[in-house]
Amino acid sequence: MILYTPLAQSDIFPQASDDFSNRQCISVEGKSFYVEQQSDGSYMLLQLLSTDPADYMNEKYTPGSIIQ
Amino acid sequence: MNKDTEKKEEENQGQQQNSSALVQKIQQLGQSNVPQAPDSNIHVLTIIGQVEGHVQLPPQNKTTKYEHLLPQLIAIEQNPKIEGLIILLNTVGGDVEAGLALAEMISSISKPTVSVVLGGGHSIGVPIAVATSHSFIVPTATMTIHPVRLTGLVIGVPQTFEYLDKMQDRVINFVVNHSNIKEEKFKDLMFAKGNLTRDIGTNVVGTDAVDYGLIDGVGGIKEAMQKLNELISQNQKSENQVIQ
Repeated sequence: MILYTPLAQSDIFPQASDDFSNRQCISVEGKSFYVEQQSDGSYMLLQLLSTDPADYMNEKYTPGSIIQ
Repeated sequence: MNKDTEKKEEENQGQQQNSSALVQKIQQLGQSNVPQAPDSNIHVLTIIGQVEGHVQLPPQNKTTKYEHLLPQLIAIEQNPKIEGLIILLNTVGGDVEAGLALAEMISSISKPTVSVVLGGGHSIGVPIAVATSHSFIVPTATMTIHPVRLTGLVIGVPQTFEYLDKMQDRVINFVVNHSNIKEEKFKDLMFAKGNLTRDIGTNVVGTDAVDYGLIDGVGGIKEAMQKLNELISQNQKSENQVIQ
């Protein structure tokens, strides 16, 4: 199938919303994180939302680390 | 005997935990340790992807959510340990009112602010870039200046047109008031024909943005940090004078 259209791909093939339903913003130790909940109930850090450059140097807050 | 074996088992477990933490770290970053830095007096705000406003974008979009940034800006203003703010921009634009909200917040911070446009600072990225005390653009970065647009169903065309026209004036006024570009020049760039194939607008590259007076200087992180430290020391001097 070849599509020739000005529409965005996401308009033609809507993403299954449950793919992203386990993602949320949480606040831990006064810092905000964008996380994905794992099947075992723990959270995997996707993105750190902070303006402090030192937070990005903190090993605990590296993307992919597990919180709780 | 039993105690000895228990101890050994405990040690083994401890080693296993250590090695698994190391393996996890290598999986995350491809390296075993991250350099540590002392507390910084400069904070960094990144504006990446699309500026997300009233409408939540589909989750596969990378967005900067203004409701996350506004409280951070308040915290930066309030925290006495933070002396300066650096803003890194690589955005394709987005919601006009969310972008203007961010730009106004940044311009009204009392502490020195410096922005660096990296890659692209398009559309509503322009007011955010010029909102700071001093702005930089790297030579390869571009900024697209074009009229405000709207997609989707429009109910009440004349009213919506008026609203968009006023919204555009707000963007133009903000940029003109916070940079050295003349209103005429900015409008010329915004409504120029032939630069964006069949569309109106201009794609302004690094040094051109500085020539037009839109951005204060060409430079990267080194220049931005130098300027910010200079502004911080100026700010501290003036504060000391007030106390005396």
